[in-house]
Amino acid sequence: MAQPALELRNVSKFYGDFCAVNDLSLTVPAGCIYGFLGPNGAGKTTSLRMILDILRPTSGSIRILGAESALQVRHRIGYLPEEKGLYKKMKAWSVIAYFATLKGLSAAAARTRAFELLERYGLKDFAHAKTEALSKGMGQKVQVLASIAHDPELIIFDEPFSGLDPVNQGVLEEIVVDLRNRGRTVLFSTHVMQHAERLCDRLVIIGGGRRLFDGTVTEARRTIPRRVRIETDDDPAPLGRLPGVASLKAEGSGGWEVELLEQADPQLILRTCFEHSIRLRAFNAADPSLHDVFMKLVGPSAREASFR
Amino acid sequence: MRYLWLVGWREFMENARTKGFWLGIFLFPVIILVSGSLPVLLAKKGVSTRHYVMIDQSGEFAPLIRSNMDRRRESEVDDALVDFARRSPAPAELAPFVTPGSSNRPRASFDLKGWKAKSGSNYTSLPGFSVPRATWLEVPLPPEIQATNPIPTVETQLRPWLRGEKILPASEAAPNPKLFAAVIIPKDYATATNDSAPLRYWSDNTADTSLRDSIQRVLSDELRRREYQALGVDPALIARVESRRAPVTDLSPRKAEGEEKVGLADRLRQWAPSFFVYLLWVSIFVVSQMLLNSVIEEKSNRIIEVLLSSVTPGELMLGKLLGVALTGGVMMSAWIGSIAGMAFVQARIFASAAASGAAASSLANVPTDVLSLFQTTWLLPGFAAYFILGYIAYATIFLTIGSLCNTLKDAQNLMGPLMLLLMVPLFLMPFIPRDPNGPVATFFSWIPIYTPFVMMNRITASPPLLEVIGTGVLLVAFDVFVLWACGRIFRLAILRSGQPPRIVELFRWLRNR
Repeated sequence: MAQPALELRNVSKFYGDFCAVNDLSLTVPAGCIYGFLGPNGAGKTTSLRMILDILRPTSGSIRILGAESALQVRHRIGYLPEEKGLYKKMKAWSVIAYFATLKGLSAAAARTRAFELLERYGLKDFAHAKTEALSKGMGQKVQVLASIAHDPELIIFDEPFSGLDPVNQGVLEEIVVDLRNRGRTVLFSTHVMQHAERLCDRLVIIGGGRRLFDGTVTEARRTIPRRVRIETDDDPAPLGRLPGVASLKAEGSGGWEVELLEQADPQLILRTCFEHSIRLRAFNAADPSLHDVFMKLVGPSAREASFR
Repeated sequence: MRYLWLVGWREFMENARTKGFWLGIFLFPVIILVSGSLPVLLAKKGVSTRHYVMIDQSGEFAPLIRSNMDRRRESEVDDALVDFARRSPAPAELAPFVTPGSSNRPRASFDLKGWKAKSGSNYTSLPGFSVPRATWLEVPLPPEIQATNPIPTVETQLRPWLRGEKILPASEAAPNPKLFAAVIIPKDYATATNDSAPLRYWSDNTADTSLRDSIQRVLSDELRRREYQALGVDPALIARVESRRAPVTDLSPRKAEGEEKVGLADRLRQWAPSFFVYLLWVSIFVVSQMLLNSVIEEKSNRIIEVLLSSVTPGELMLGKLLGVALTGGVMMSAWIGSIAGMAFVQARIFASAAASGAAASSLANVPTDVLSLFQTTWLLPGFAAYFILGYIAYATIFLTIGSLCNTLKDAQNLMGPLMLLLMVPLFLMPFIPRDPNGPVATFFSWIPIYTPFVMMNRITASPPLLEVIGTGVLLVAFDVFVLWACGRIFRLAILRSGQPPRIVELFRWLRNR
């Protein structure tokens, strides 16, 4: 297996007595889109800052692109922070070019690259506009472009989708997929599950500074039991006695939720209904969404945190 | 090093693109030029004639005051004439009375008495000379006011005029003149004891007291003269005694033998450092403010995170210092350059005027003096050195304050005490040149944050070498310390959000790691 793009081992970060990140370990393989999921205050931004060596972990170790510190390989990393901001008085192209020169590009190359990116992503007409004159969405796009202008191997986006309209979210998703298709590694944090579900090859869910899950989307879905919703006017009690069924819950007006054990096949329910002449008005055997997984994993702690 | 330069260059370009930067560069020489010539222009054109009325119920003093005001007017015209005659080239009517300036007496002189005797003070026949407007002009009482009425009645009647509600008839000096002042002398003015019946001076303007003062002087002289006379002292004797002055000549041991007299050039030499101190202060202050603003912008925009994923905090800090130093350096050079340039051009103009044999103006040698000041060995290099050293200390401190704050408001709170400290050199400025090597100057020279200002102020007074080197070394050491300490705080503060930390916390940051 190729060297992972990023590896965290038992990383913790304390602010005084407060523990922001608790014993976090994860591995980001090269060339994938990796989601970093968690509720507000879960420690996402702190983790990302430690990965970038802007903050030092209290304990644990980080290897990034084979180096001890992100600063040693800073030219190969792109970063988009959570709160977006640009130099107000600078022109769009020169902001992109400036950040690219800070990442080691020559002034001429950075300039060419800035115009190229602005043209490719539909901002050509705004290349000479001051960033304060751009709309929020455009400004954010410029910032995304600034973070990838030096064609980094590892790109870290902190909440890249927040504040963008659905069209621009689509554009950003394209950028992310584009990068992966060219062999780059993208790590992004979000608390919008749909993006993660659509984009991520792998993801980690953290809550309260701890890792709650690490794996693929499919694996994530498997962590919670599948459910089948049925509607019937007959008594569905026989279903509750099936070996693959964990529970049977009435939802009112003839609706029932059947929770299946992991290995059980939803077809079993249909067959049993047929055998017992339970007439179904509706049958819905959707996979659990990442949203369900997320809510189950972090729901209680996030709720607690938000009322603290 | 490349990153220092990149950060610095962006900083410089950002500042250089602002209107304020260019305004600052061009406005400063203009202000110097204007503030140099404006008073002269204003004196010529600005002040309008002020009209006053005089009511003398005693009947004794008005003629005295009038003749004094006439003399005043005459000397006003004479001054203008002397100025006119000295300016080159003098018209043919005046030429015989003008002695052109020479190398040791640069001013041309004009024999006013000789001209008056010959021409009978005929000002109006001189081509090119316009008689200046009178500063003070007595006008007759408005016809509806009776000068013989009791004073309260007269005053009640005068009020609307004094308030500007009623306007005097137009004169040649002004189309619709206001009554500036009224002078009322009570009947028993001469005999009244002390304050029982004072002269009543009415005016809406309490700032310009020159009319009141000169009337008071005339009347005081007159009252004294009468008293002396009553005591049997000869007034001529008194006049002779009063005209006696203790003679004093200013000499300086620094000058060559035979030229010890202290002239304008020497005064300039002594006060020029103050000008440089002021320049130093303004520049350090302006530049540090820029730095503060730019850090706060980066911090509140969170651009800082992107920057820190590309450069180290140290590179960022030094880069910003470099960039703003560049801004300040360009501004300073432009200022000093423009002043030197102006002085040079003017000196050339006067030099060519002098060469053509015409009389030089009274200010002819100022530009030459300014030029020679710039050539004084230590002034410019000293300024450069103290600018850099002082800049490092102050800019770093301002930068760090910026890094501690998220908003300009937070920063202003922290800046309060620092601003007070920064004011001290401004307060000291007038005192240092009087005693450049005295205890006050020496004391403040040894306080690193004041060293640049105070030593700059003393620079032409040859301070002891030991002090120059000692305070210099201390200043450099202080700069190193500030860079070290602020670098530490900066690194921790720059990512911090929320309230600025307390002082205790800052000390903890300094000690950790």
